[in-house]
Amino acid sequence: MKGILLKDLYIAKSGIIITLTSLFVLTFGLSFLLDVTAILMLAPAVSTAAVYISITNDASSKWNKNVITMPVTRAQIIGTKYILYILLSAVGIIVVLVSLGALSLMGITVTLYSMLFNAAIGISVALLAGGISLPCVYFFDAEKSQIVYMIAFVASTGIITVLVLLINIFIPVKNNILLAFYIVLAISFVWFAVSYKIAAYAYQKKDIT
Amino acid sequence: MNNALSISGLTKTYKDFVLDGVSFSVPSGSIVGLIGENGAGKSTTINAVLGLIQKEAGNITILGKEQLDNKTKEQVGVVFDGSNYPEILSPRRLNRVLKNIYHSWDEHTFLGLLKKLSLPIDKPIKQYSRGMKMKLAISAALSHNSKLLILDEATSGLDPVIRDDILDILLDFVQDEEHSILISSHITTDLEKIADYIVFIHEGKVVFSKPKDELTEQYGIIKCGAAQFDALDKSDIIVYRKMDYEWQVLIADRMAMQKKYPKAMIVPATIDEIMLLYVKGEK
Repeated sequence: MKGILLKDLYIAKSGIIITLTSLFVLTFGLSFLLDVTAILMLAPAVSTAAVYISITNDASSKWNKNVITMPVTRAQIIGTKYILYILLSAVGIIVVLVSLGALSLMGITVTLYSMLFNAAIGISVALLAGGISLPCVYFFDAEKSQIVYMIAFVASTGIITVLVLLINIFIPVKNNILLAFYIVLAISFVWFAVSYKIAAYAYQKKDIT
Repeated sequence: MNNALSISGLTKTYKDFVLDGVSFSVPSGSIVGLIGENGAGKSTTINAVLGLIQKEAGNITILGKEQLDNKTKEQVGVVFDGSNYPEILSPRRLNRVLKNIYHSWDEHTFLGLLKKLSLPIDKPIKQYSRGMKMKLAISAALSHNSKLLILDEATSGLDPVIRDDILDILLDFVQDEEHSILISSHITTDLEKIADYIVFIHEGKVVFSKPKDELTEQYGIIKCGAAQFDALDKSDIIVYRKMDYEWQVLIADRMAMQKKYPKAMIVPATIDEIMLLYVKGEK
């Protein structure tokens, strides 16, 4: 599993560096225009773009076929992409948090509340989008993985809206904004885990040629 | 003799193709060549052996195991018709990747093979020629103490010099009697050089599985006219083909046939000719 992850990092290395540098620059750039913590909404999902680069590369180089003959299980092969996805989301958040720390030292106001709120939305979007797109790219067309990812990204914002409206039936969201979005976050984590289980199960049965 | 690989009644159905009860084995210490035209079922057979596709029926025993678990996979080296490694990687990075996948990865063997085959270690694979990519794939397959090597069209599209280099590596590999090779190829002359057994698949079925020497030393082709063909005992004919000016008749024992038909022109049959007669001939 470590070897496959290492391969993914080698493939996506330049993509990861570009994305993280862009996030860093964007955080500083936005600090003069709006609430800078809003970048936390984008960071986790944007950082995961490199996963789709590695998926496309796996398909074009026929690595998918080769790796099945190696001493790794199909569940591990799928699991590696999910781990990479989580890792890159986390790295994206860390890069933005470090930038925010630097900005607050420079005197720009960064509140804990807005950080928690925006991060909850950002992580939820990333998990929901990943949970939709990762199985899709494995079962349909890996070459179109980046398009699938963008559609899933848009769909995830719609899902969050629906979830918030549903939560609002039981808990008044206006008075419990953080709680509502943490419930969404918890649901997103569960969805991501379920997505992995479904993908691993279905990949087990798939013919790879 | 133990078999490194045994396939029995392997069946897989596609919309337009059926792999129909394929059975053959790869004895330990031998090279088995899998031949057949495009779409005959060679790759489907290999894909089923490697667990890439789900079989519908049949049994596959690989290195004594019916399940291709990770421990068994450690001992099976696989080479497809491309390098099938991410082309952005260099062999040095590929070495690091594979070291973390195979418990039995032998870095010294891998680096030694790269050096022996003059493959630059820091050059991205995408800058390699096709021949270099195949040599790299074979080097990787030989670097985790493989006991069974499975090659699917690994020599296709390569020039004769590189093909010869690869055949030498394969022959070297089977010097150890515990090592075995299953190799599918269109290029039957390569198999004539190295294979101990030939398995011929046609339209999803095994037509024959025979020692190569039996095919090249005993099989023959009677080249004759219509009258001579009519005089032949039909039980001696495996298959025949009517050409523009002659009849070609495949027979199993050319020495015996030469005695039986002293006036007949009987020539040795190459594997290519045997394959062609089976595919295009009549029974």
